[in-house]
Amino acid sequence: MTSFTPAQRAHTRRILWLMLVYLIILPPLVWLHAHRHIGPAFSLVMAIAAALPLLGVFASWGRYLSDERDEYHQSLTLRRIAIATNATMGTAIVWGFLQAFGAMPLVEAYWIPFVWVVIQGVFAGVSYLSRGGKE
Amino acid sequence: MQNRLRVLRAERSWSQQDLADKLEVSRQSVNAIETGKYDPSLPLAFRIAELFALPIEEIFVSPSHRSSKAI
Repeated sequence: MTSFTPAQRAHTRRILWLMLVYLIILPPLVWLHAHRHIGPAFSLVMAIAAALPLLGVFASWGRYLSDERDEYHQSLTLRRIAIATNATMGTAIVWGFLQAFGAMPLVEAYWIPFVWVVIQGVFAGVSYLSRGGKE
Repeated sequence: MQNRLRVLRAERSWSQQDLADKLEVSRQSVNAIETGKYDPSLPLAFRIAELFALPIEEIFVSPSHRSSKAI
């Protein structure tokens, strides 16, 4: 069975809480945006409110790297972040040019961090399976 | 990097978890070091050496030393 370091447990707890806040906050904001005429000032507040929990997720990654005392897990995380960052930036660049030349539709910028998180997850899964699901 | 960690641990009848607890690292770290998938930092290598009361070079095999032997 996989055991988690204290820093990993704290990070997971933070992420779960932040995702819960995000899931609670987002539907009313989307509803307000769709059904009410919102002024620019309140739109700004709504956008910041929607973004804050997700900004917290990235802050949590930073906190995790700072808190992690197990150098092996820290190195694995750093490697995963480096791979996800390179792959995401590469995807963003290619997509940007495809979009500029009309080959791809416009995609909201907030999908970029989503892709980053997904690639990290995929890499973590591949690493786990490549170790025979033992660690 | 090759090392004698598994042998030294076995000599003392310690499990990977026992060694991990003594070194204050995760069991996964001990496993990764034993299998050569991860090279510990110098501070951790020193902690390992102090725990087994051995010089570092008697636990970890220098890659250059190994290659020169192979030549």
